[in-house]
Amino acid sequence: MSILYVLIPLALLLLGFAVWAFFWAVGSGQFDDLDTPAVRVVMDDDSKPDQDEQS
Amino acid sequence: MASETCFHCALPVPADCHLSVDIEDEPRPVCCPGCKAVAELIRDTGMSRYYELRDLPDPGVGRPPEEAAEWVVFDSADMLDAFTERDGDLREATIYVGGMYCSACSWLIETTLGKQPGIASAEVNPITHRLRLRFPDQESSFSNHLATLASLGYQPQPLTPESATRPEVAEQRTALKRLLVASLGMMQVMMFAVGLYAMDFQGIDADMQHFLRLVSFFVTTPVVFYAARPFFTSAWRGVVGRRPGMDLPVSIAVGSAYVASIYATFTRGEAVWFDSVTMFVFFLTLGRFLEMRARHRSIDRSAALSSLLPNTATRLDGESHTMVPVSQLQAGDKVLIRAGEPVPADGVLETGVTSIDEALLTGEARPQAKVIGDALSAGSINLDGMIEMTVTNTGSDTTLGTISRLSERARYARPEFVTVADKIASYIVVALLFVAALVATSWYFIDPDRVFVITLSVLVVTCPCALALATPAAFAAAGSRLSQLRLLVTNGNAIETLARATLAMFDKTGTLTLGMPSIAAVFVTDNAFSEKDCRLVAAALEHASTHPLARAFALQEPLPEVKSPEVVVGQGVRGIIDDREWRIGNAEFVGGGIAADDSATTHVFLGVDGNAVAWFELEDAIRPDARQTLASLRNLGLATALVSGDNHVAVDNVARVLDIDDRHHECTPEDKLAIIEAAQQRGERVVMIGDGINDAPVLAGADTSIAPAHGALLAQTSADVIMLGDSLTPLTTAIQMSRKTMRIVRQNLAWAIVYNALALPLAATGFVPPWLAAIGMSASSLVVVLNALRLNRFE
Repeated sequence: MSILYVLIPLALLLLGFAVWAFFWAVGSGQFDDLDTPAVRVVMDDDSKPDQDEQS
Repeated sequence: MASETCFHCALPVPADCHLSVDIEDEPRPVCCPGCKAVAELIRDTGMSRYYELRDLPDPGVGRPPEEAAEWVVFDSADMLDAFTERDGDLREATIYVGGMYCSACSWLIETTLGKQPGIASAEVNPITHRLRLRFPDQESSFSNHLATLASLGYQPQPLTPESATRPEVAEQRTALKRLLVASLGMMQVMMFAVGLYAMDFQGIDADMQHFLRLVSFFVTTPVVFYAARPFFTSAWRGVVGRRPGMDLPVSIAVGSAYVASIYATFTRGEAVWFDSVTMFVFFLTLGRFLEMRARHRSIDRSAALSSLLPNTATRLDGESHTMVPVSQLQAGDKVLIRAGEPVPADGVLETGVTSIDEALLTGEARPQAKVIGDALSAGSINLDGMIEMTVTNTGSDTTLGTISRLSERARYARPEFVTVADKIASYIVVALLFVAALVATSWYFIDPDRVFVITLSVLVVTCPCALALATPAAFAAAGSRLSQLRLLVTNGNAIETLARATLAMFDKTGTLTLGMPSIAAVFVTDNAFSEKDCRLVAAALEHASTHPLARAFALQEPLPEVKSPEVVVGQGVRGIIDDREWRIGNAEFVGGGIAADDSATTHVFLGVDGNAVAWFELEDAIRPDARQTLASLRNLGLATALVSGDNHVAVDNVARVLDIDDRHHECTPEDKLAIIEAAQQRGERVVMIGDGINDAPVLAGADTSIAPAHGALLAQTSADVIMLGDSLTPLTTAIQMSRKTMRIVRQNLAWAIVYNALALPLAATGFVPPWLAAIGMSASSLVVVLNALRLNRFE
């Protein structure tokens, strides 16, 4: 059971890192717009002229 | 060549224009060299798919400006500092993109700019029409990017960082962070709590128990001090303002449970309640977050209003002309406004004679003639001459700014209904605190050991969150759904009053009718010409004019060629067709000679070589969906009425077509108000649907007022609901939706009352441990919020 004395602080450390990462993501505006990215995936098909450039 | 519409901007292609662009191996007609350039640019950068992806454009949208604006001014150091923010080596600018109409536009902008050198990232939000642009801090790059946007056919307008960071965004960011801290904290503490409970059964290792409690304390602390801070501050504000809100019992419960748990931890006491604390805070924060999201989902209208203003103005400093950003204009500056340009600020006309289109501000479709000394309003459009103006008011002090501020205020105002609910809630809170004190005293005599646990449970379980959330959550959800259905609610009371409406009263012009003239009849007085000839000549001549009446003459047919067309301000248009001088306009200008009857319809005369040959009667056509909308309103149990300032012939015509019996003609605004008040005396609940500046007091007098968005902006500010889009059908939706909302509010209130009535006795008699109380209270709040969110699926 004494392994918990190591594992729990370790888990808290990871938790702290997760919170920091999330705060950074919110601060950089990644959560400001939750509607557009869903559409963007659909729009970002490779278009014909792009394929021409590659070939 | 058959009549066509421009492939790029959907305006009709002039007969004498033979431009075309090869896109996807087919020649596509375009209407002007500007559209040709834009279409070619789009094709050459490999973006032809834009044309497949976009919805059908509104005519004229995406058309490049006739004269490219001078973007270079934005490269000066002051301008860069004013409009961008430095972020390391990058600069970040927020740009309002005028002329966007669908998500294909955002695709086009993102991909085109993304391929440009010198741009780190470009992200477009198609809902708010904002572009976030990051680029390396180099000279003259900002103006290039703006020019690229303009060359795509959009009207870019850089926003200052202050105007770009909207309060909602900041609020949402903080709320998200709080929610995350609360949820992660709750998960961790629950995990430790499971360990603690398990150990209770398996025999306790005292050191391990102490360790787990310490860790729980460690994790709970940020949850209490960061995530739950809004509850404490709001509770304190309630106490100071002598109006305790529902946050007071919440704060007492969270605070006391936290303090008691710390005490138990360090004195190695019986039990800790860290799990209850974090769970309570998490569910409360979640409820608030959902409510906030629903509240924020409305359209950013103030940005749309400010897009009426130009970016730059030509300032006159003595003899020299300087392009300056509009934000730098000051009262007393002299500015030059060319024909077709919007007026950048409020001011007084100094030199020149012109006519001004104030349709967006006043709803008056006819251009207003302006002479020296007349006042000009920001956002109106200079139609004819080149004028000089002295600035009197700028920015938010202008008429336009006042309007947008008013509508902004209305948007944030809390409905009366909610305020009343808040007042009641504060009495309930006081009663609850009293009950909790009573319970605590009773248990002190029954079993002193259980006093704290039971009082805590009572406080948590009876938290009137569900009661307080019942109405605002439903209203917020309804508001957001209505705005998706193209109805903008500016006054929260509107939903309640709409649900009870019994009489729908309509204005005629621009509401039941299109508000746009069309030709009702042609009277040819010279037998040498056919009606068709006259229509064609009129269309060809009016093609040169920007006068609102000119749109009535537009034909989708090849038109005769007009040589040297000339617009005479306030008179009409003249031009040479087949070597004869034709004129269209008022009787005097054309050559007179025809006596028209004196009815209220508008007459336009057509003449050749000084002799009138025909006159046109222009009329306002009834909206195609008016009849059906009125019928469905009657099905919903509403009576319909028509009040209009027009003469009885016009009113009777419209009323007959639409089956309206209750009609009033030649009404002044005072008459209209009196009619509404008389109806209200009879016990009717009146919805007034109208636009135009004259209707502002009338709209304010009705129980609910609805204005179409194309109407006068001033009317909208006193309107409770604004109909976006060019259709009356949303009216029926609004009534149905508001009735459904009130039904959900009643369900929510009933649920909250029943829950509290059941939970309080159970908790007071000691059957509910604190953790169960937290779950019960949270579940009841979530039920209320989720029930309200059902409105989002309303069709």
